[in-house]
Amino acid sequence: MNQAKRQINAWTFVAPSLILTLIFGVYPIFWALKYMFYDYQGFGEPLYIGLDNFERLFRDKEFWHSVVNTFIYAGGKLLITLPLSFILAVILNRALKGRQLLRAIYFLPTVISASVMAIVFYVIFNSYNGMVNQLLVGSGIVSAPIDWLGPKYALLTAIIIAIWGAVGNYMLLFIAGLQNIPEDLYEAASLDGAGPLRKMWSITVPMLGPVLQMIIMLAITVSLKGYESIMVLTEGGPYGKTEVMYLYLYKLFFPVSSGGTSIQQFGYGSAVGFATAVIVGLITLIYFYVSKKLNDIY
Amino acid sequence: MSTLHAAAPQTAEQTARSVKSKKLLSRTLLWLFLLLVAAFALFPIILAFFGSLKTNLELTTGTTMLPKEWKFSNYLQAWNTANFARFTWNSVFISVFTTVGTLLIGTMAAYAVARVNFIGKKLYVTIQSCTLFISIGAVVLRPQFDLMVGLGLQKSLWGVIIILISAHATAFFMLIGFVRAVPRELDEAAFIDGCNFYSVYFRVILPLLTPALGVTALWTFRGAWNEYILPLVFTMTQPALQTLTVGLAGLKYGIGDAAQPQLMLAGACLSMLPMIVVYIFANKSFMQMTAGSVKG
Repeated sequence: MNQAKRQINAWTFVAPSLILTLIFGVYPIFWALKYMFYDYQGFGEPLYIGLDNFERLFRDKEFWHSVVNTFIYAGGKLLITLPLSFILAVILNRALKGRQLLRAIYFLPTVISASVMAIVFYVIFNSYNGMVNQLLVGSGIVSAPIDWLGPKYALLTAIIIAIWGAVGNYMLLFIAGLQNIPEDLYEAASLDGAGPLRKMWSITVPMLGPVLQMIIMLAITVSLKGYESIMVLTEGGPYGKTEVMYLYLYKLFFPVSSGGTSIQQFGYGSAVGFATAVIVGLITLIYFYVSKKLNDIY
Repeated sequence: MSTLHAAAPQTAEQTARSVKSKKLLSRTLLWLFLLLVAAFALFPIILAFFGSLKTNLELTTGTTMLPKEWKFSNYLQAWNTANFARFTWNSVFISVFTTVGTLLIGTMAAYAVARVNFIGKKLYVTIQSCTLFISIGAVVLRPQFDLMVGLGLQKSLWGVIIILISAHATAFFMLIGFVRAVPRELDEAAFIDGCNFYSVYFRVILPLLTPALGVTALWTFRGAWNEYILPLVFTMTQPALQTLTVGLAGLKYGIGDAAQPQLMLAGACLSMLPMIVVYIFANKSFMQMTAGSVKG
């Protein structure tokens, strides 16, 4: 009797959470799983068309172009962010005067909205009259203003913004991992005459193993999914140079004023959403498999 | 090894001095590196602040970092003309109610999951973790919007708030850890003293959770305050409901006439300011939360 009452009590406490999650978290996924087989533009009767949307997807050059851009964007971001934040973590994990202040400064960008920062970068990176160009030209580092948001550099600028927003976060995650490594391992290694690099490779990296794997996996998925700042900065332009796949997907549902298609395409959009989720899932799996193999070899 | 022996004729004093100068050099390089990264982290914020105090003309043609004339009136203009007073109120409204709702629903579920082995617990936790990992991007916004139309909430901020609260999986998993850290003996003692399931939650768990609640609240508040795409989609046709993030991005297209970068920067500073002030006082809590997600 008492046990049954406890069951009911527990369920009344879980119910609000479960109901909200089912309605707003789970139902939309099934909505997409249904409409990816339909021709549906938001009005009129949805028309069942089988796999036509996926056929179109494979021929959709714009989409695959955005997939390539996503890889460049995510890859460029991670290539700088992860090593940089790891180095910072190792330095700031040691006894160092002012390390609390430095940590706080490095972490500061992560409390600011990506969209707000994109506006700031949009103004200060503006091609001919932005503050960055004024300072670069004024101090003689470059002779002519750089077209930061033009076709040539826009993706690079987007990557710089992404790095700016991410380094502090991963630094902190690495520090948390480093603090789990017992100090006496390093002391023992010092007694055996190991130098700092040796300690890094023989203690820090292997001891950090699973945490490192988790952080990198998190970093990969987060950077593949990010599109907020690009949307505000360039809307994927110029000429689709900064179009990433989740932004392309967004535009199929909520067409933006400049560029891209101007018609809502819920059916095709659902198929694209499914495909992007699969792509992210596959990359995560591949990473997981490879890093596990590497761990085994180690 | 042989090189070491070759260096042996040096006097002890010389060696000590070269070691010392080497140390000094590496320390200098280290600090140079650290300060360079710090400059990288701070430069857009500093440029935004100085830029927000310049005139449009100086911002687009000037060559100095500091404004010649500090135009605080930009902020007044952003606040009044560009409607930032309204945006700020909307952001505060959304963030406060999202935080309260998330904490309430999250702690209730976390308490039940941490303390009772109810039927279907595994399934519930699985569903919560799935919502963390499966991401189909903007697709979900469409059915979510339709649902709100069905509820008649698409024209109020409550639609945005409810959807933000429904995404409470992260807060839920953080809170489970916190509830588990409260000793079970306290519950049992309270039960003996005549408490029931509900009064234990209100009288034992919640009070003991206060510091953890503060940290989770900060985390949730930051997320709601910085949210851009969800409020954008819900307020596209209703400027009066826009939040700071949405209204600010809208300035890119100019208010009536040409774009005014000094107003964009003033608006950006206005929307960053509350988070930065909170961060200055509570940066340890912010960082503790991030670090906690690794230790899990």
